[in-house]
Amino acid sequence: MRFCPHRSPLFLLLFFLLAFSSAANAVSAIHVQVGAINSPGFTANKLALDFALPAQPSHPQLNFQTQLVWHDKTAAKENSRMALQLSCAAITNPQVGNWRCERGLLNAERIKAPFSLSFTTKNLNGQPQISAELSLLDVNFSDAEGLHAGEKVAAKLSLNAFQQSRIWHWQSLLDWQAGEVFWQPFYFATGGHQFKANGQLDVLSAQPSLTLDNAELQLKDVGAIQGNARVSLSDNTLQTLNINADNLQLAPLYPLLLKPLLDKTMLNNLEMAGRANFKATLHNGKPSAFELDLQGADVEDKNGRFALYKINASIPWAYDESRTIKASYQGGHLLRLPLGAANLSAELNRYALTALSLKLPILDGALDLSEVSAAWIDQQWHWHLRANLSPIAMSDFSQALAWPRMEGKVAASIPLVTYSAGQLSTDGDVQFQVFNGDITISKLAMQTPLGLAPRLSANMQMRHLDLGDLTRTFSFGAIEGKLDGDVNNLQLVNWKPTRFDAVFKSSDGSYPKKISQRAVENISSLGGAGAAAAVQRSFLRFFKQFNYAKLGLSCQLRNDICAMDGIESTPQGYVIVKGSGVPAITVLGYNRNVGWAELLTRIERITDSNAKPVIK
Amino acid sequence: MMKKLFSILLILLATALAAPFASAAADLEVNTPAISSLKNSMQTRHGQLAAHYASGAIGLTKDGLIAMHDANAVPLAQRQSVNSLIAAENGDRNALYKEIASANGHPEWQDEVRSTFAQRWVQKAQNGWWYQDGGAWVKK
Repeated sequence: MRFCPHRSPLFLLLFFLLAFSSAANAVSAIHVQVGAINSPGFTANKLALDFALPAQPSHPQLNFQTQLVWHDKTAAKENSRMALQLSCAAITNPQVGNWRCERGLLNAERIKAPFSLSFTTKNLNGQPQISAELSLLDVNFSDAEGLHAGEKVAAKLSLNAFQQSRIWHWQSLLDWQAGEVFWQPFYFATGGHQFKANGQLDVLSAQPSLTLDNAELQLKDVGAIQGNARVSLSDNTLQTLNINADNLQLAPLYPLLLKPLLDKTMLNNLEMAGRANFKATLHNGKPSAFELDLQGADVEDKNGRFALYKINASIPWAYDESRTIKASYQGGHLLRLPLGAANLSAELNRYALTALSLKLPILDGALDLSEVSAAWIDQQWHWHLRANLSPIAMSDFSQALAWPRMEGKVAASIPLVTYSAGQLSTDGDVQFQVFNGDITISKLAMQTPLGLAPRLSANMQMRHLDLGDLTRTFSFGAIEGKLDGDVNNLQLVNWKPTRFDAVFKSSDGSYPKKISQRAVENISSLGGAGAAAAVQRSFLRFFKQFNYAKLGLSCQLRNDICAMDGIESTPQGYVIVKGSGVPAITVLGYNRNVGWAELLTRIERITDSNAKPVIK
Repeated sequence: MMKKLFSILLILLATALAAPFASAAADLEVNTPAISSLKNSMQTRHGQLAAHYASGAIGLTKDGLIAMHDANAVPLAQRQSVNSLIAAENGDRNALYKEIASANGHPEWQDEVRSTFAQRWVQKAQNGWWYQDGGAWVKK
C-alpha cells in the first residue's frame, strides 16, 4: 500500500474511522493490522488500529499505534525512529457526518499532546466539505536535540475546507492561547499570538501546491504581519512570499525576533524603541526586494558602546535595481563621544553600498567620510573610504572619554581607510594638536578591531609638547620645557602594549628649562629607588627647582621587559636629566631592564595625584 | 662506505623524529596579552557554564570544545542563551589554541595544542560532567 505523502497520519486514521463506522454496530471490536506504509519521507511500521465498541452507554474507543521511521534525505545521519500512539477515550457521533474525539491523546517519545477534535463532513451539491476544530491542552513536545520544544501549550485550531474542481479551498485560524515555545533561536514566553489565513490546496495536479492568501500573523504587543505565499509541494519550496508589516513596535519586537537573529553581531544586546514598517518579497525562493522604514527609533547598546536616538530611515533594497537609502538621527554617542544630528544618504546596489559623502558631527567638529564603498562578499564586509576629521576641541574630547582634561585640538586626514576580512589599515596620518605641540600617528593598522583580542600597530611622533601642560595634566611634578618623542613599531594587543621602541627627549632649541624637586624624585623613582634616595640624602633636597640642560629617557619593550636608556651612558648607568648652572642636578638611572608591569605600577603611583610617591 | 650510509640514515632518522619531539615541547603556559584576555573571558564565563556542565546540559567534546549534550536539562527560556554561551566559549577556545600555537612560534601546532587541551579539560572535569570519548558521550 502506498500512502500519499501530502496527507497526515490523521487523515489515514479518519479514513479508517469512516470506512468502518457503518459496519461497526454488528461487532464489538475491530482490529486492523498493517505491516508497513511507505512514503518518500517516512515509513510507518507495525500499524495497529483497535476500535472497541463497549455496550451502551459507554462510547466507542479508539487506539492506534505505529513505529515511524523518518528517512533522512541527506543520509548523513541515521534514520530517526519514533513509537507513536494515538487514542480517543470516547468517540461520539452526535449528528450525521459529525464525529468527535473526546479525551484524545497523542503520545510519542518526547511528545504528549492531549486533545479533543470535532470533525464534520458534508456534501453540498456534490462538493465535499469538511470542518475541523482541534483543541490542544497542556501539550508538551520536544525534538531529540531540544532545539524545538514547547511546554504547557494550549491552542485552538479550526479549519474549514471545501473541494471545487479538484482544488481544496480552505480557511484556518490558529489561536495560541498559552504556554511557552522555544523554536531555535526564538523563544516565546507566553501565548497570545494568532495566525489566520485562507488559501487553496491543489494536490491532484501535476504541480501540487499550497497557496496562502490574506495570511495574518498577530504577534502579541508587537503588531500584525500580513502576507501571502505559494509553496510548491513537489519539492516543498517556498515559491513566492510577500510580507507587509506596518507599525511594528520595536521595543517588544527586538527581544522576540531580532535579538535571536543578531546573536553573533554587535547588535546583540540592545534596547530599542520606536516603530518600524517592513516589506519583503521572495520570488522563486530568492529574496527579490525589501524595504525597512524606521520611525522615531531609538537604539541603545546595553554595553554602552553606542547609541542613536530618533532615527528616521528608509532602507529599500532590490535584487535587480539600485536603491537610495536615507537615514537621519537626532543624536547619540559612539564610545561615549557625543554624536550630533546627521542626515545620511547612500546607494544600495544588490550587495554593495556606496556614498559620496557622509558627514557625522562629533562634539564641535565632524567626521567626514567620502568615497565610501562597501561590499558584502563571502559573508564578510569589505570596505574603503576617505576620512577627514575636522578639528575637535581636546577639552571636550578628553572629558567625553573621561581622560585628564587636555587643551588643544584633534584633527585627522586619512586619504584611505581599508577594511577587509577583519583587517583595518590606513594610509595617512591622524594629527593631534595637544599640549601646544603636535602628535602624529601614522601607519595605523588594526586586526579584528571588534574581536576579543584586537591588535593595533602604529608609529607615533610627538614634537614640542609643552612639558608644563603635560606634567600638570598627569600630576607628575612640574617640569618646564618642551618634549619630543618617537614611539615606533608600537603594537597593542587587546589595547595593551606588547612591543615598542620609544625615545623621549627635550626638544632642541632655546627655551626655559626647569625641573622641580618633586619631578626629580618622580623621574628617579621610575628607574628604581636608589637614585631618588641619593637626592634625598644630599643638600639638594633644600632646593625647590633646578635648571637642566637636557633630559631624555628611552624604553624598548620586548617580552614584557623595558630596556631603558637615557641621554648618555655612565659607568654606573645612564643619565636621565643632565643639570646646568648652580645648583646643577644630574638624575641617573641604574636599572637597564625593568619589568613593564612594574614600570606601569610606578607611573600609576606617581600620577595618582592623591598619593605621594613612595620613596624609601 | 657502509659507515657513511649509516650516518646518513641516522641523520634522516633524527630529522624524522625531530618534529614530534619539537611539538612535545610546546609551552602551553605561554602568556601573551591575547592569551590572558582569552583566559579572563573564559574564566568569567565559566561561572555561567558550571551549572550546565553539572546538569549534563553541556559536555566537553573530543576536539577541545563544548557542545549541547542534553538541551532538555535547560528550561526553555534559557535555551538560546545557553546556545550563545556555547558559541562564545568555542570562539574563545579556538582562538586560545591558535594563540598558544602562534606564541610558541609554531602556528602549525594548533591541532596538537587542541588535542592536549581536550585531554586536560576532561582530566579537570568534575565527576558527573559529560565528555566525548571517541564518538560517544560518557559521564565522568
